Amino acid sequence: MSTSREDFGIAVRSALLKKGARQKFSLFFLFIVSTIIFFLDFYNVKGIKLTKNLISDGLYRISNIATSPFKLFTYTKEGASDLIFTYKENKFLKDEIERLRKEEYQVEYLTNQNENLKKILESDTNILSESTLAKVLIDKNSPFLKSIIINRGSSSGIAKGMPVLDGNYLVGRIVEVNYLSSRVLLLNDLNSRIPVTFGEKSTQAILTGKGGRDPAMEYLPETYEAEPNTNVFTSGKDGVLIPGLPIGKTIVEEKSINVRLFSDPNQLSFVTVQLTEVDKENF
Amino acid sequence: MAILFKNFRLNILNLGPLILLYYISISEIDTYFSSFFEILSFNLQIAIIYYWMLKNQSVIGNGHIFLAGIINDVVMGLPLGLSSISYLTVSFVASYVRNVTVNISLFTDWFTFILAIFFSNLVLVILIYNFSAIKLQYTDIFYNAFFTFLFYPAVWGIFNFYSKMMVLKHDD
Repeated sequence: MSTSREDFGIAVRSALLKKGARQKFSLFFLFIVSTIIFFLDFYNVKGIKLTKNLISDGLYRISNIATSPFKLFTYTKEGASDLIFTYKENKFLKDEIERLRKEEYQVEYLTNQNENLKKILESDTNILSESTLAKVLIDKNSPFLKSIIINRGSSSGIAKGMPVLDGNYLVGRIVEVNYLSSRVLLLNDLNSRIPVTFGEKSTQAILTGKGGRDPAMEYLPETYEAEPNTNVFTSGKDGVLIPGLPIGKTIVEEKSINVRLFSDPNQLSFVTVQLTEVDKENF
Repeated sequence: MAILFKNFRLNILNLGPLILLYYISISEIDTYFSSFFEILSFNLQIAIIYYWMLKNQSVIGNGHIFLAGIINDVVMGLPLGLSSISYLTVSFVASYVRNVTVNISLFTDWFTFILAIFFSNLVLVILIYNFSAIKLQYTDIFYNAFFTFLFYPAVWGIFNFYSKMMVLKHDD
């Protein structure tokens, strides 16, 4: 019995401490180094934060270059596919233009009405009406975290909490800012919480990422009756996001009300960051 | 000249697993296939580390495993050092298994791989749960671990075939 315990001890010690011919560091030493780095990052030590920002800026660009051959392959495949369906798409687009022309007059009327309503509502968030276009550097799909890296950072005026849009649709918000790059937390990430409003009664809820494709509505009023295909907008109640940004449409499922996002978070190439004034206390 | 070229080719071949480990950590290459099957994802890094630490430790050094973990943390937005600790746990289990086993076969490797996956994910979950604001779906981690285990024989087969092209140095 004691011999087997001794054998176990010897095997563990050997695995942890043996360096071998080509190993410069023992596992034990590297475990200690990793743990120190982890806790320095956890306690947000100033030096490590700066180092992390510098490493991040460099690595994001290297990652973008390293992935470029695969991106080229994807673009070529998509280009060939687009070419095949050009005729069909052209016909569809002509119909769409016709429909949009009819809607244009209606939009003009609604824009004027919206401007008047905005004057009545005194929004907490100060919109600088500036935005910056950013390229998606890394879109690494993970089963745990849904985020993207963009090629704009604090040098472009980006700060934590700023909303990120794909066209006119909200896709996420900034959660990490480096000098030349930033990380965007997507709406479907498990850690994402956005106050939203929807429906004729301006129902308030929290849009919560579930890790899957469609985020879900939480904290709905008890008397709320689920309605599918209702447009969902940001409410701006957190004082961070601009109110009225379109997000998606409601889908009623058995146990929950989910939101099908207008913009597919897995298909982002360029995004716009709204340079709003973010109150750090709110974020 | 021919000898130089041959040596160069062999060196590149020997560096293959290491290059793959770094490339997967740094690039956008996904091992998450939600578009095919919602829960399908696997952790290729763990499989690479486990196979080569078991087969021949001179191919992937512990220092490189540590560095690949740091790179993965930066790219994925995880707390620094987290993946390193997780990968080093895999390396530790592989080294232990190597110390206590004599014969290496697919089945012994495959079943001891469960221990490596279990401990690396356990460390990951404990550290994230206690020292990070990141929320994780535990079922996703389970599916990831399950598919990593399930696909290991395929990885084992590919690397076994690849290792026959390499000139491996004896490691002690």
